[in-house]
Amino acid sequence: MVFPSRPVKLLRESLKMPGYKLYYFDVRGRGELCRLILHCAGVPFEDFRDIDYFKDWPTIKTRMPFGQVPVLEVDGVKMLAQSMTIARYLARRHGLAGQNDWEQSQADMYCDCVYDLHNATVDATWEEDPVKQKDLFNKVNQDTIQPHLEKVEQHLVKNGSGHLVGQGLTWADIAYYAYFTTPIMTRLGGEVLTKAPHLKKLIETVGNNPNIQKYVETRPVTSG
Amino acid sequence: MVHYKLIYFNLRGRGELARLVLHHQEVAFEDFRFEREEWPKYKAGTPFGQVPVLEVDGKPLAQSNAIARYLARQHGLAGQNEWEQSQADMYVDCIYDLISGTRPIIYETDKEKQKEILQKFLKETVNPHLEKLEQQLIKNGTGFLVGKSITWADLAYYSFFSPMTERFGDSVIDNSPHLKKLVEHVANIPQIKKYVETRPKTTL
Repeated sequence: MVFPSRPVKLLRESLKMPGYKLYYFDVRGRGELCRLILHCAGVPFEDFRDIDYFKDWPTIKTRMPFGQVPVLEVDGVKMLAQSMTIARYLARRHGLAGQNDWEQSQADMYCDCVYDLHNATVDATWEEDPVKQKDLFNKVNQDTIQPHLEKVEQHLVKNGSGHLVGQGLTWADIAYYAYFTTPIMTRLGGEVLTKAPHLKKLIETVGNNPNIQKYVETRPVTSG
Repeated sequence: MVHYKLIYFNLRGRGELARLVLHHQEVAFEDFRFEREEWPKYKAGTPFGQVPVLEVDGKPLAQSNAIARYLARQHGLAGQNEWEQSQADMYVDCIYDLISGTRPIIYETDKEKQKEILQKFLKETVNPHLEKLEQQLIKNGTGFLVGKSITWADLAYYSFFSPMTERFGDSVIDNSPHLKKLVEHVANIPQIKKYVETRPKTTL
């Protein structure tokens, strides 16, 4: 758990910043995008991940709006569920969502694509037989990821700024970074981006963001 | 005036929520539908090889929820403030997950197996969700999912559960009286009723 220090608490109070508590398991999974957004924006939060599946989860589950995590608790009173909703809410509040309505929608669109890619890799992720798992990842790569990358490359070239949306970093860039670094490149290797040089460059750019780099170097090492 | 062109199959499916938002707010749009066999003609021209796509004065936006959210926000159906907007997003994301859960059912051709998968889906996914949803509706206390008035979240629940009950029987939401009331309310909204009566009849 990361508890805000006293100076952070005072700063937060003085800026009337909301108190965020992110509930998720001690894995990256569907919670990592939210964590990356908060770290990128330099926003303090309680990263509540010390949830033992057998000991703690049955009780915590009953308090969650839909019995699932991630959940963002705001100021100890309001709860928001659904990973993409939480990520969008945080991105919009902290300047990572795009500069206008249209850019925000474009960012939404890209993040929905990443959500679909996550769903496409669920079966492969949970497969226990390593040979079968490799096959499943290769199939998803061939059938879903590569065709998608072809389109993303065209859009990146057309947008021309190096970013997916507009001229600067948005949560859409972070979403692609999160998905393609882990699980995809860890499972399939860097070759998965051979035909996507612009996305590869974007992912490196996001990875080199000082706040993200610092967080990634120090975050818990987990299997998923 | 902005010109909207919504491009999707001649189905309800993932395109219907955007249509309902536009009809509810009485916003004119081109409802461009095509049959499955024609898909190869249009696929390459879409941002990600998928539909629905919304063209806004010719500029494309893909992904069903991104489209419906954009329209809801542009036309006053997304919630009254930032928090309500996020609550609405949350509910619509829940529906997106439920829609994804119906795919194995819809595409199962063996009737017995289909029944089995449906029962499993209802028991393990839909019913637990509805239990929580009823609590949320009671807590909000207005009859609507978010705030005091209708949002695209209410339309999303109508859009999913109305065909579910049509296809699989009223028992799907029998134990959810508040949701049942909300779905009936939406069905009886004049603009929605008029659109539903006149829209093409499709299996999905």
